[in-house]
Amino acid sequence: MSRIRQWFAERVPVSGVQIAELTNEPVPNHLKRWWFCLGGTPAYLFVVQIITGILLAFYYEPSPQTAYESVRYITEEASYGWFIRGIHKWAATLMVAAVILHQIRVFFTGAYRKPREINWMIGCCLLLCTLVVGFTGYSLVYEQLSYWGATVGANISDTVPFVGGFMKKMMLAGDVYNERTLSRFFILHAAVLPTIMILLLVVHISLIRLQGISEFRFEDEPKDKPAHFNFFPDHLLTELLIGLSLMVLLCVLATVFPVTMGPRADPLTTPEVIKPEWFFYVTFRWLKLFSGTIAVLSMGFIVFVMFIWPFIDGLIRRYFPRSEASVWIGLAGAAAIIALTVWEAMVEH
Amino acid sequence: MHDAPESENTSSSDDSRRSFVGKACGVAMTGAMVASYGTLIAYAGRYLYPAKPTPKAWMFVALADDMKEGDSLAFKTPGGARVAIARQGSVGDVSDFIALSSTCPHLGCQVHWEGQNNRFFCPCHNGAFDPQGIATSGPPADAGQSLPRYPLKIEKGLLFIEVETVTLAQTDAPSVDASSNDSAGGVV
Repeated sequence: MSRIRQWFAERVPVSGVQIAELTNEPVPNHLKRWWFCLGGTPAYLFVVQIITGILLAFYYEPSPQTAYESVRYITEEASYGWFIRGIHKWAATLMVAAVILHQIRVFFTGAYRKPREINWMIGCCLLLCTLVVGFTGYSLVYEQLSYWGATVGANISDTVPFVGGFMKKMMLAGDVYNERTLSRFFILHAAVLPTIMILLLVVHISLIRLQGISEFRFEDEPKDKPAHFNFFPDHLLTELLIGLSLMVLLCVLATVFPVTMGPRADPLTTPEVIKPEWFFYVTFRWLKLFSGTIAVLSMGFIVFVMFIWPFIDGLIRRYFPRSEASVWIGLAGAAAIIALTVWEAMVEH
Repeated sequence: MHDAPESENTSSSDDSRRSFVGKACGVAMTGAMVASYGTLIAYAGRYLYPAKPTPKAWMFVALADDMKEGDSLAFKTPGGARVAIARQGSVGDVSDFIALSSTCPHLGCQVHWEGQNNRFFCPCHNGAFDPQGIATSGPPADAGQSLPRYPLKIEKGLLFIEVETVTLAQTDAPSVDASSNDSAGGVV
């Protein structure tokens, strides 16, 4: 055994002690509170998505003639296909929810402030990537919702001044949804976007490790309580526990609320009632309230403000040091998002 | 003794020449990399951009004189799209006719006719249009949009429409469902 260990040590010159030193940084005590686990949750779900996505890709065929049938085969005929697809769908839903909640937590605890502005912006990019992965994901099923969602999405990009037409053509591989559109969505969903997300995640997590986690002290904590605990094994075990709980939750959701097949895409008939996935309800309602270009430009402006928020907040605090404007703006934004989502969920049209 | 300064001169001249050649190589290398990788990126961009627009063709609709003012007919394209063609004037040229698309100008969903409300309705974002295709409510009305019109032309008394010839939908042959005549459509 010692010879084998020595053989490895000669070829992989890293010791367990060195790995422990690299990973075992002190973790602030506040991370024991559950709402601070929302950063690790989407990362875990992302791994689940990669694994289940690879499994789904064994059977999925990205062309208008075969896509729907291949998803139906996965769902109804392949052994445990319904379960794998169910896990993939529910993990996507939970991932979007966890990323949004993580961002809300970071916003309201002010964890985006100096020196963490860049990491906030990377987080915003990860949120956008997550939403686009969700969009391209449900486009792949080639149901009515998939087809009309993609058509509406492409036409939204078409309303962007100057570059809209170019963006739409690049997205659809033509003027309209055509034979080559689905393979483009598939490669974006399964290769391009995950690669970008992995790169962004590496930078995101590296910056967290380099800057350390922003520290909070809660009033109800005893003064003599240690401020930190060890990453290894304490925090790692917590993360493993969260992962296990998520897996149980995903299995329950995939079994109790199994995935179904909607009607096959019909490019000639838009359904009487059409709704995107819940995380696009806000956008969908916004598009009903305002005309095309105004809706798209205003949404772009809101996303841009969110992106550079740490700098806007910095300016507000410089001129109004005691101001709680960021909290009130955040509350107003969250209330608007919830209100538009609920509104869209409640009505047929 | 005289050699030393000369050698120093030579050495410094060598250094400056070497430094110049080094910098020149650096610039050339950078230029070559920008040019080669730039070309690759440009090719990749052009490769991803669609090579051809959606193919279209002029198709026969009806004899222009067979349609009187106020007549209309439903035309189905090879792609299956429904087009409402109507004669609204009696000047005798193509400006008498309109061909309304069923594609909503807002974000591309298909409108359908609601007889009870005398309007075209788009279920995606609640756009509504009057029988002439002018938006009356919803985002298209806010933006002043109307249902798109297909290009029409009259040649030797024959009415033609320009439509897309490729589709993802499984459809039958193009047809005319005429309320005023029985002419059949065909590719020109």
